[in-house]
Amino acid sequence: MGEHSKPEWNLLLPVGLMVLFPFIRSQLGFDAINSAFLIAAVPLVVFPAILILGQIYKGEEWWKHQLKEGGIIALAALAITLSLTVWLIVEFLGHHGPDFGSQGVIFDWIQFEIFDGAALIGTSTLSFGLWIDSVSLTVLFVAAFLCFLICWFAIGYMTTDPINEDRNHRFFAEFVLFSMGMFGMVLADSFLWLFIFWEIMGLCSYLLIGFYWEKPSAAAAAKKAFLTTRVGDVFLMVGLFMLYDLYHSLEFAVIFGDPTLGGAVHGTDLQWPLFLMFIGCVGKSAQFPLHVWLPDAMEGPTPVSALIHAATMVNAGLYLVARMFPLFSEHHFEGDLSDLAMLIAWIGGITACMAAFIAFVANDIKRVLAYSTMSQLAYIFTGLGAACWFANQGYHHLSIVAFGAALFHLFNHAMAKGMLFMASGSVIHEMHHAHDHVHLYDDDGHHDFDPQDMRNMGGLASKMPITSIAMMLGSMSIIGIPLIGGFWSKEGIVGQTWNVYAHGGEMILFPAILVLATAGMTGFYMSRMWFMTFAGKPKSDVVEHVHEDTQWIKTPLVVLSIVTAFSGFILACGEFAHWLGDPDHTHFMTHLIEHPGDAILHELEIAFLPDENLLKIVGWTAILLSAGVGPFIAARMHGGKLADGEEATPLTNWLISYSGSVGHTDVGELATGGFATALHNRLYIDDAYEWVISRTLMPLAAICAWIDKNWVDGVIKGIESGSQSTSTWLRQFTTGRASDYLLMATVGMLIIVGILWGVA
Amino acid sequence: MIEPSWIAGLGAFLFCIGLIGVFTRKNAIIVLMCIEIMLNAVNLNFVAGASHWENIDGWVFTSIAIAIAAAEVAVGLAIFLALYSQRGTISLDEVTLLKH
Repeated sequence: MGEHSKPEWNLLLPVGLMVLFPFIRSQLGFDAINSAFLIAAVPLVVFPAILILGQIYKGEEWWKHQLKEGGIIALAALAITLSLTVWLIVEFLGHHGPDFGSQGVIFDWIQFEIFDGAALIGTSTLSFGLWIDSVSLTVLFVAAFLCFLICWFAIGYMTTDPINEDRNHRFFAEFVLFSMGMFGMVLADSFLWLFIFWEIMGLCSYLLIGFYWEKPSAAAAAKKAFLTTRVGDVFLMVGLFMLYDLYHSLEFAVIFGDPTLGGAVHGTDLQWPLFLMFIGCVGKSAQFPLHVWLPDAMEGPTPVSALIHAATMVNAGLYLVARMFPLFSEHHFEGDLSDLAMLIAWIGGITACMAAFIAFVANDIKRVLAYSTMSQLAYIFTGLGAACWFANQGYHHLSIVAFGAALFHLFNHAMAKGMLFMASGSVIHEMHHAHDHVHLYDDDGHHDFDPQDMRNMGGLASKMPITSIAMMLGSMSIIGIPLIGGFWSKEGIVGQTWNVYAHGGEMILFPAILVLATAGMTGFYMSRMWFMTFAGKPKSDVVEHVHEDTQWIKTPLVVLSIVTAFSGFILACGEFAHWLGDPDHTHFMTHLIEHPGDAILHELEIAFLPDENLLKIVGWTAILLSAGVGPFIAARMHGGKLADGEEATPLTNWLISYSGSVGHTDVGELATGGFATALHNRLYIDDAYEWVISRTLMPLAAICAWIDKNWVDGVIKGIESGSQSTSTWLRQFTTGRASDYLLMATVGMLIIVGILWGVA
Repeated sequence: MIEPSWIAGLGAFLFCIGLIGVFTRKNAIIVLMCIEIMLNAVNLNFVAGASHWENIDGWVFTSIAIAIAAAEVAVGLAIFLALYSQRGTISLDEVTLLKH
């Protein structure tokens, strides 16, 4: 590495000042709810500002170094949204905070009159307002917090790469618009606005995945992501139409206020709209069978992967399913929607297992994380499915437990996965720079070097201590190592899924087995990734030159490491999961603050020694599989001591020496067998889609193209060529000779005279 | 007394000669002369009509037409001179400026 970048803390001063924004608002006499719309409005204003300023000032010194090509502006805007979010949460969690639910109308969008035949039967207004409850506050905080940190990380990641020079303003502008889409979606008080912001995110994902548009694979991935999610969105739209047909409104207040609409709506009416809306969620959250876009989305810059996979996009689908939850728990619909709940759990179970299998053989560090995202989101879907099933069967308490566990997992997964992506970005970034440094001037065919391939890494723990710790904690959280992050929520999901089986939902047995097995598989593939990257001897000469740089990348990692390590435990003991499902009857955090010892003991007892034997067995099996078997196999296959003279930090050293001491297994045959090949080819699902599309859609498209070219274009081209030949024919009369014109005038006059004569 | 129809016939004959000359000849001066023939063919009709009906209008028209024709010839010849000094020719086949 050549020059070291300076800390540049001074650039953060304007960002820090933005934290004062809520204080200014409150001094002006506004409260948090009146300011909440700014959470979406500020990024919406900043988005064009960065774009325009970037176009004007790109290439100038101060724009590049003082404002980081718009990155500081974006970070300042996200600092405002984060501080407003925190303010909002504090206000709502206060002892006499405002009520959850609709918070009034911000503005009226469209007003229209409704006719029945010719008679006017009323007017309707599509207005935008805010809807705030425990779910939206949680998802909003996850989005705001992670967007802020990822933007911080992106400043370090994007502006140090020469390939991005003079176009980073586009990245930051789209980044801000993306986060605005998520904030707006979470805050919206109607399915209509939810859908609008949902589509804004779809657009931004297309723009950001295709940020390196000059790379054909990135352009193709962007198109794939856009079109695949579009398939789901069409279903979602139809589902919303059907919902509107039932309720004559899409506002949460109307639909959740009285889901039966005074007895007019039956549970069976809701099956189809909810099913179609669920397909939209499947597309957005990359579940089987619409998951194919997500691994390819890794073509975007790493901060985009973190943004899509942790903070925003994929959480949108989960959020929408969580929004449907009140319809499942309406007791008039009891039993009518259980099949749909079961379907949600099935889709989750299948995706969880499938993605984990594919992650077994992935060698690209980001792809492992991508499949892990799919798998973990599938857990949440399974949990939500179980929650919806309980709710629809009338098991009120159990449904709250499952619902809370699922959304708690959303929180834990987002924090851990955001950090894992940033850590992988840190690794890729430094590998890339180190490779440029080593091989800058040789022409030895190293151009196909892939800085994301874990087979080029190994032994990075001593080179990148902070990244290795961050990645270890993130992996532990995803795996569900006891007491850390995702453990608390994953236990709940797996346990409640089996609980559904115990309460008569026999159909859930298959997904229940799958999620239990996936717990062990997660332990394997996450450990495999960590060991391949950080443990063992270096696998390429590039590793020697890797080292961590720039606070822009390290700071978010440190922050998220702390959050991941402790938030799960604290929130679990603070009855976070219970509060998510039933905020009215839960004292979030108060019990923990007043009687910390009791609260912790109580929570530990629930986690490790539940009353029911089934939960005990399932819970301990999951712990054994995920924390014991999976990592052990991974350590045997990919672990190993560092090279001589290299020393890792104590926090990771124990893990490396553990992996070096368990011996070694060579899977040989298995790694090249038919199943592994199928996994390498992503179980041929992409190929199957391609096959189907090339045999159905492509011929149809070819026919359409032929008709367009020959018939539609034929008419237009006929007009064009006809007028051209006519004018060519006419042009031969314009000789330019005065006497010819005179002749024509004479002939014309004679004809006129002749006609007049004839008439007369 | 000569019949007016004979004079009208002579006028028409002269007009046709002028017209054909305008269409066929290439030299601009001859075309100008042909235009003069056409004009005077019409003048002949005016004069014949005036003497037949003993009305002064015809003579007045004729004098005005002759005066304007003289002015027109002056302008036409000036254009030809300018054309010749610019292009070195006054052949109408080569002067197809109206095309552009």
